[in-house]
Amino acid sequence: MILRRSLVVAVAATALVSATIASLTLGAVDVPVRDVIDALRGDAEPGPLREIVLELRLPRTFSAIIVGAGLAVAGALLQGALANPLASPDVIGVTGGAGFGAALILLVFPNSIALLPVGALAFGLVAATLVFAIALAGPNPGGIGRLILAGIAVSALFGAATTSLLTAYPERVQSAIFFLAGGLTSNGWTEVEVVWPYFTAGFVLAVLLIRPLDRLALGDDVAQSLGTHPRTIRLGAGMAAALLAAAAASIAGLLGFLGLVIPHVVRLAGGTSRHGYVVPVSALSGAALLLAGDTLARTIKAPIELPVGPLMVALGVPLFLFLLRRAV
Amino acid sequence: MEVATQPLLEVEDLCVVIGRTPILHGAELTLEAGQLVAVVGPNGAGKSTLVRAAAGLQRRSSGTVRWSGSDVRKLRRRQLARMRAFVPQRGRVPDGISVRDAVLVGRSPHVAALARPTRADHAAVEQAIERSGVAAFAERRLPTLSGGELQRVQIAVALAQQAPVLMADEPTAHLDLGATVVIARLLRGLADDGLGVVLVAHDLALAAAIADRVVVVSRGRTVAAGRAEEVLHGERLAEVWAVDAELRRDSDGRAGLSVAWLQK
Repeated sequence: MILRRSLVVAVAATALVSATIASLTLGAVDVPVRDVIDALRGDAEPGPLREIVLELRLPRTFSAIIVGAGLAVAGALLQGALANPLASPDVIGVTGGAGFGAALILLVFPNSIALLPVGALAFGLVAATLVFAIALAGPNPGGIGRLILAGIAVSALFGAATTSLLTAYPERVQSAIFFLAGGLTSNGWTEVEVVWPYFTAGFVLAVLLIRPLDRLALGDDVAQSLGTHPRTIRLGAGMAAALLAAAAASIAGLLGFLGLVIPHVVRLAGGTSRHGYVVPVSALSGAALLLAGDTLARTIKAPIELPVGPLMVALGVPLFLFLLRRAV
Repeated sequence: MEVATQPLLEVEDLCVVIGRTPILHGAELTLEAGQLVAVVGPNGAGKSTLVRAAAGLQRRSSGTVRWSGSDVRKLRRRQLARMRAFVPQRGRVPDGISVRDAVLVGRSPHVAALARPTRADHAAVEQAIERSGVAAFAERRLPTLSGGELQRVQIAVALAQQAPVLMADEPTAHLDLGATVVIARLLRGLADDGLGVVLVAHDLALAAAIADRVVVVSRGRTVAAGRAEEVLHGERLAEVWAVDAELRRDSDGRAGLSVAWLQK
């Protein structure tokens, strides 16, 4: 059992390292590994190769890693907190909200494109707040069923608003499609500079939630017996997931699939659902899958970039279905 | 001979309102170390609510709950978790969690937030696994276990808390006779080891056989408390459960309920 779990970690770590090397070296222009290392160590001569590595590929690689890790961790937290295998950032409205925020900027205020990450982040968090406010109201506050239903309703609302915007501005739809499909860009560090505090807060919360989520897994009564307040843990997990998913969406558009599937793959492959294993290994695997997907998307038909969202689905689904078939 | 010791748990004049419905009004319960107290009563009488409110799992409207003399309102969650463990009627059965994993989670009130479990924690986990008789399937995953085995795992999780009181809410409700007897012996044995045990039970014969004291809850209040033969007599069964029945015990410790099933 320990061997199997270690093997999964080793595979994910190897995939991440290989993908990082590939992401930094491959692309429209191939940069030799030695030049990449020189550039990273600050030893490289000023020139186009150094620029490509430091200004384009490094930020993109870093973005793919934090977005992939963030989405996977968000999914792991929500699946644990809601005791529902279907939970993902879509469920708490973040994806729908972020999609609307991005569409608003891209379609209605195209001159303020710099506000794109802020719009996606803000509306993602607004949608999640709305979902939690509804879920926490009423006679049985914090019920899982109500939270999920509120999430579906709020997502539908923002989804409809996004579709309305798309039909109202048909000539600008092209710019929004890339965001909605999900994909990274080579915009340097600008987006990361906006959203890194949200990622940090989300990851720190995630670490603190690992043990409480294990208690919650044994049921609310056992969690309470062990001194944990289930509603607080659910709210905390929801907040952390909302921060991570909204921050991820503001960098890479809508890649909700990653958050749904990665934690399942980790549980099935590792044979355990202890959060001390699932959360960090999901982060590692999510980062590896998104980075590998993004590098492929950039290089298969270079210099044309394929959208990474659909490509990742194509990569992830067969693996997921294979593991699901063998699951108990 | 009565020894004046402080009770582990004292519940006085407890009232609980859920929504706008009063569930309990005037419930009482006292528990001492080494004692097994069975809480019995008809469906909807408020037995589970009494035990849940005493355990701090259910909000109280009024009344006092004291754990070893400390008012429950003044205890932090973690402190309370070291004073009592609660075994639910049916816990969740998550996939991908082994019995040992689950019991280790039960140890969490003793492990600091980001610290690793110490050797003493692992020893407590092993002891809980051993005592509750789940060692033979400690590596198996929870969904592969039978109802009786799962209930013993729930008790093992509670024992890992090493709290002086264990409260179990109808732990045998879904179990067959054999599995029920295993749980009954385990709970009695834990009380003999010195733990205070509160058992919510529907089975009056079981309650009478293993409990030191029986607390009868009816319509939201405690109507009687004492030794089974004093409390569960024919008139009380008629009054509280509206049945013609009698508790019978013999010198071998066999207990059964003789019920006039079809006579009104």
